[in-house]
Amino acid sequence: MTTLSPPQAAPKRQQSIFWRRFRRSTPGKVGAVIVALFVLLAVLAPIINPYDPTTDRNYRLNLKPPSVSALWNRDVADTYRDPATGTLNVWAAPFGTDNLGRSVATRVLHGAQLSLKVGVVSTVLALIAGTLLGVLAGYFGGWFDTVVGYLSDVMLAFPSILLAIGFASIFSSDHPPLLIAAMDRLFALHSPQLVTAMLAVSLVQVPVYVRLARAVVLSVREREFVQAAGALGATQSRMIFRHVLPNSLSPLIVQGALSIATATIEVAALGFLGIGAQPPLPEWGTMISDSRQYYVDAPWTMVFPGLAIFLTVLGFNLLGDGLRDVLDPRSTQ
Amino acid sequence: MGSYLIRRVLRTLLVMIGISVVVFAFVRSIPGDPATALLGERATPEAAAALREQLGLNKPWFINYKDPAHLLDAQFPKYVGQLVQGDLGSGIKSNIPVRDELAARFPATAELAIAALLFALLIGLPTGLLAALRRNSAWDNLATTVSLLGVSMPVFWLGLLLSYFFAVRLGWLPPSARLGNDTVLEPVTGFYVLDALLRGQPAAAWDAVRHLILPAIALGSIPLAIIARITRSSLLEVLGQDYVRTARAKGLTGRAVTLKHALRNALLPVVTVIGLQAGALLGGAVLTETIFSWPGLGSWLYDAISQRDYPVIQGGVIFAALVVSVVNLLVDLSYAVLDPRIQYR
Repeated sequence: MTTLSPPQAAPKRQQSIFWRRFRRSTPGKVGAVIVALFVLLAVLAPIINPYDPTTDRNYRLNLKPPSVSALWNRDVADTYRDPATGTLNVWAAPFGTDNLGRSVATRVLHGAQLSLKVGVVSTVLALIAGTLLGVLAGYFGGWFDTVVGYLSDVMLAFPSILLAIGFASIFSSDHPPLLIAAMDRLFALHSPQLVTAMLAVSLVQVPVYVRLARAVVLSVREREFVQAAGALGATQSRMIFRHVLPNSLSPLIVQGALSIATATIEVAALGFLGIGAQPPLPEWGTMISDSRQYYVDAPWTMVFPGLAIFLTVLGFNLLGDGLRDVLDPRSTQ
Repeated sequence: MGSYLIRRVLRTLLVMIGISVVVFAFVRSIPGDPATALLGERATPEAAAALREQLGLNKPWFINYKDPAHLLDAQFPKYVGQLVQGDLGSGIKSNIPVRDELAARFPATAELAIAALLFALLIGLPTGLLAALRRNSAWDNLATTVSLLGVSMPVFWLGLLLSYFFAVRLGWLPPSARLGNDTVLEPVTGFYVLDALLRGQPAAAWDAVRHLILPAIALGSIPLAIIARITRSSLLEVLGQDYVRTARAKGLTGRAVTLKHALRNALLPVVTVIGLQAGALLGGAVLTETIFSWPGLGSWLYDAISQRDYPVIQGGVIFAALVVSVVNLLVDLSYAVLDPRIQYR
């Protein structure tokens, strides 16, 4: 501490610090790889393996075990052997087939797109709505804060899955409201029930962001640079959107990654209860629900869709942990 | 402290009022007519109208704006009036009073939730403690990994996997219900394990325990992971504080410091988390009970929603929210006992 180091040529850019720290976080890296893999599968699915769930049927090969096991299991090999040519394709249905003879692997692959879309969209909607309400409540206080806080308290008192079930059962009818039909088209989900489930899961998450954003804004609002901006005559909206909000984003981003994990599980749970996506849509929760009559004899119909949910959720949880390592100032000490 | 208590209880009451309004509005918005659902599609319009009249469904929702002399002759005021008297109406399908069915089914869910929480605590607490005490050891890494896997596991998938391996393949444990077909047990409290012991039927108690194991593990997996995580991080934080160093400097042994000084304070956040899990457990019960045919609140509510049984949905959801609010209230108040540093104003 005897000599002052000369001023650096330029302070390190925020982005490079982010990447340097992120590369040191093992959970973050593993999570990023898993998530990237699923995104890649989801994007490439229509190209590597075009699929129409409504016409895909093969009653000769229903509830058959994974075709990979043909390598060591003679019976399975005989099942998958083409009766005309006698050739055997061990990759015909690597995860086995379901009650309609559809390849579980193909359906799991195509389910990736649905689950990722639904998880991300529901979280982003909750993040925007909740953050906006929370920021306004925290910044202005007063009656608005009281009302928003009260409504969040009421919503948080419900077990979230019950609230989601309630919401989803109100709006999932044969004639969906215009908003739901429009979102169905916008995100190409081909299922108004799935959109309803997505909105339900989103709604349940809103109070989480309200509380988080409010707490962060309360602490940021008192910082000198915000007061300086106020002293320099910045308008209310400029103060909120240029100064307070950008400096409150870190915890919200971390929570966002973790919320995608929760949302993915909850949408699948609604599908499992028969309220979300409807058959024949290859949504993972719905596939597990379909498998309930058959899983005693054909466990692969239940194991692989569940594994897909589990891995996706794990990926986002790891990614969230990694982002927290990077963005949470407390963990950097 | 006194005024804090009053304010905190008042807030809970306000939230309860909000809950009843929300549930009422939600339930009335579910599409489909309960009268048609009850009488079947072929019912005459007259019969349906008569039933709606009888159920009070023809009245306006909140205020009877058509008849200013009887403003309160509407569905919501009537519903609140009954609610205050503890009258939750009767199930449209079963015609059994909702209160009676709640009383019969709540013990089943409570028994399951308590078993799940016990499982989570028995495994989660020691796991978290050991992980914190041997930080960065192989055990710590294992515990962190397992708890991460636990929070990422969909409850319904875990339930099906458990039921497939331990009930279907190995045949060690029963896959559904609370008791075997051969077991006869006269309920006392509705908690079957307790009932069997009270009646002096150890065989029945063992049967009830065997039925509890799989659903309790499925329901307890997420709380377990969360408890282990929180215990670890909270103990690590406490162990780094000055008073722990002081205790060490006084010459106390490592064990005395951890158990007497650090652990007590480290458990505070764990208590909060257990409280927060009350809602998650009730929500998870909907899934777990569906898988294991457990005759509790969750499976009952699920059936009621698919059959549009208004009074059952109303009563059940309000009751669930009440339980969550009361548990949260108790957790907040228990802070005063557990942590004298907290000042209430």
